Amino acid sequence: MSGLFGTLSIALSSLAVSQQQLETSSSNVANASTAGYSRETAVTEAGAPIRLGNLVLGTGVVLRKIESLRDPILEIQLNQATQQQSDLNAQLAQMQQLQTNFSSATSGIGADISNFFNMLQQLSPDPSNLALRQSVITAAANLARDFNSAASNLTTQQANLNLTVQQSVGEVNNLTTQLASVNKQIAVLENAHVDASTLIDQQTNIIRQLSSLIDLQVIQTEKGGIEVATAKGTALVSGDQSFALSTQTGQNGNTHVFAGTMDITSSISGGSLAGTLHTRDQEIPNFLSQLDQLAAGFSNAVNVASAQGFDLNGVQGTSMFSTPPVGVTGAAATMQAVMTDPSLIAASFDGTPGSNGNLADLLGVATQQVANGQTPIGAYSNLVFQVGSATSNTSADADAAGQILQQLQDQRNSVSGVSLDEEAANIIQYQTAYQAAARVVSTINSLLADTVNLGLGAAVQ
Amino acid sequence: MRINPNQMPDLLAALNQSKLITQEAEMQIATGRRVNVPSDDPTAASLLVQNNDQATFNAGYLQSLGALQGQLSTADSTLGSVVTALQQAETLGIEGANGTLSDADRAAITMELQGIQSQVMSLANTSYEGVYLFAGTITNTAPFVVNNNIPSGVGYVGNNGVNQVLIGNGYQLAANVPGSQLFSASGNDVFLALNNLILAMQGDSGIEDAVGQLSTAASYLSAQRVFYGNALSQAQSQTTYLNSAKLQITQEQNTLAAADMAQAATNLSQSQLDTQATLAAISKFTQNNLFDYIR
Repeated sequence: MSGLFGTLSIALSSLAVSQQQLETSSSNVANASTAGYSRETAVTEAGAPIRLGNLVLGTGVVLRKIESLRDPILEIQLNQATQQQSDLNAQLAQMQQLQTNFSSATSGIGADISNFFNMLQQLSPDPSNLALRQSVITAAANLARDFNSAASNLTTQQANLNLTVQQSVGEVNNLTTQLASVNKQIAVLENAHVDASTLIDQQTNIIRQLSSLIDLQVIQTEKGGIEVATAKGTALVSGDQSFALSTQTGQNGNTHVFAGTMDITSSISGGSLAGTLHTRDQEIPNFLSQLDQLAAGFSNAVNVASAQGFDLNGVQGTSMFSTPPVGVTGAAATMQAVMTDPSLIAASFDGTPGSNGNLADLLGVATQQVANGQTPIGAYSNLVFQVGSATSNTSADADAAGQILQQLQDQRNSVSGVSLDEEAANIIQYQTAYQAAARVVSTINSLLADTVNLGLGAAVQ
Repeated sequence: MRINPNQMPDLLAALNQSKLITQEAEMQIATGRRVNVPSDDPTAASLLVQNNDQATFNAGYLQSLGALQGQLSTADSTLGSVVTALQQAETLGIEGANGTLSDADRAAITMELQGIQSQVMSLANTSYEGVYLFAGTITNTAPFVVNNNIPSGVGYVGNNGVNQVLIGNGYQLAANVPGSQLFSASGNDVFLALNNLILAMQGDSGIEDAVGQLSTAASYLSAQRVFYGNALSQAQSQTTYLNSAKLQITQEQNTLAAADMAQAATNLSQSQLDTQATLAAISKFTQNNLFDYIR
């Protein structure tokens, strides 16, 4: 369009665009602290020029779109880093709890083992002394009790983790439902060619929260929607449909995670669910098994040595500890010191009350290989080492994962974060542009008045 | 290149980290321990279990050595008393061998000898804290009993058992000599010799031979007594050794577990400085942006 009205409409388009740019900046500033917000820019371009004979005239400015600035590669990396960190943090919390069972060198199972052998050793110069014998009985009872309580603490921790698994699965299901509904809304808006940035930020946020719970991959479909599945391919969300996970109690009393009828418990590889499951199904059973082997090996060796001697009444020695269960599992939880009468301790070599000859056999258990080719104290100190190094390794890994996550967040912020300085500079710019365009409008206004007044006597102002 | 406009999470993370270090240093100073949970130092935690084991056994050996030394020195001094009594009997015997004594005199000597005989038997039945010391391993009943059916008049109802007492790792010490070996060894039977002397004194015949027999038995007993002296000195050496081992074990425990106070104090003041610096940085952080300068 040519002529003054054409110029006017160009100026008006400039005013409108400046206004929208100001709106965008203002929205960025308002959301400067909003978590997961991606800053928006108003993308403008020159309007399509028109030809008039040999002349090409501009038609003003057009607002192309309001663009959210985000980096999709960074989003993928952030999701993976979140999964990794949540996995390790979940494991670390559990390991720190687990290791409190093995924290003291002067009390607990190790000290009890030392004390049991020491009390036996005290009998050596005076084997028929009932008070000294009673100390052995007491030491045996303390040892069995500490084995029981360590095993019980570990199994209780395992049981609590079952509850955690159920809760996590519930949260996953909540999030996938939310995600499906957000996807639906996005699809509607995008079909209507309306800017869906806020919803996409919400979508990103939900996916990030899901990443802290479970491992996942996000797949873009051709229609522009997204599908979310676990790393091994179990579908969680497909467009506007979500697929809930369920939990069932397995044979060993542990909670298993199911997708429909398929048990996916052992294929979850990220997020806090993975960490929880790893601790429950690998770490705790490993340490429980070592405790069981030690309890069983120790009990058997002491009982065998006892049977080779004679008690204070000249009768052949009987078992000091309960016989461990076949297959060793549960030995630590069920260990009992069954000999309660001090006169039954089989210190004697030949049945005479003053003989200490069988003490050498009983004390020999301290240097015998009773569990995993190690002596009782050797096996226990090795267990302490393993628990300690598993915890400290997990701690170091969690720290590293946390730092990686932090760096990725920083990178994301450098792309998508709102900089107040930048917005202020932009606002100055848009304000000036608006003022200039307004000035153009008033100039055209007075030109129009002049035009109207052409050839007239009295002036229209 | 556009920088990250939101530095706050990084600053907060740094603040958290320096507060964590502060906490750890404070914990070490307060408890005096560097290893409070196994993950603080897994190797040290594992070695501490073994160290505690060594310390327990060390203390245990010292305690049993105390009990053993009580037994050994009681036995030793008892045998000393027996030897004295036997020497007294010898003296009486020599006196009685003098042909100038009257029957009444010899009767008086006989009575004294009988007194010594029952004293020796009582000494041979010495017990220490309820345990008969010269009974072999049948230590719950007196080993020597009156038995008029045998020439010595005293029967032995103990056995030949010798207890080996553990006084160190793999270190065993024989703790007793059976009463049969001490008092009624064939050819050196103390009770037989005493009884024979009494009979000789009563019958006023063969007194010198009987005194000779008693002297032989007494020398033999003295020689046997040396066992206890040796055992006592071995026990003493072992006690000395265990006491110095105890110091070493304690030192090792400190090396493993004790906090290096100087280092912890340095860490504490350093991390406190870091915390202050980070806090100052955070407070300066949000002060200025361009909006402050737009009128």
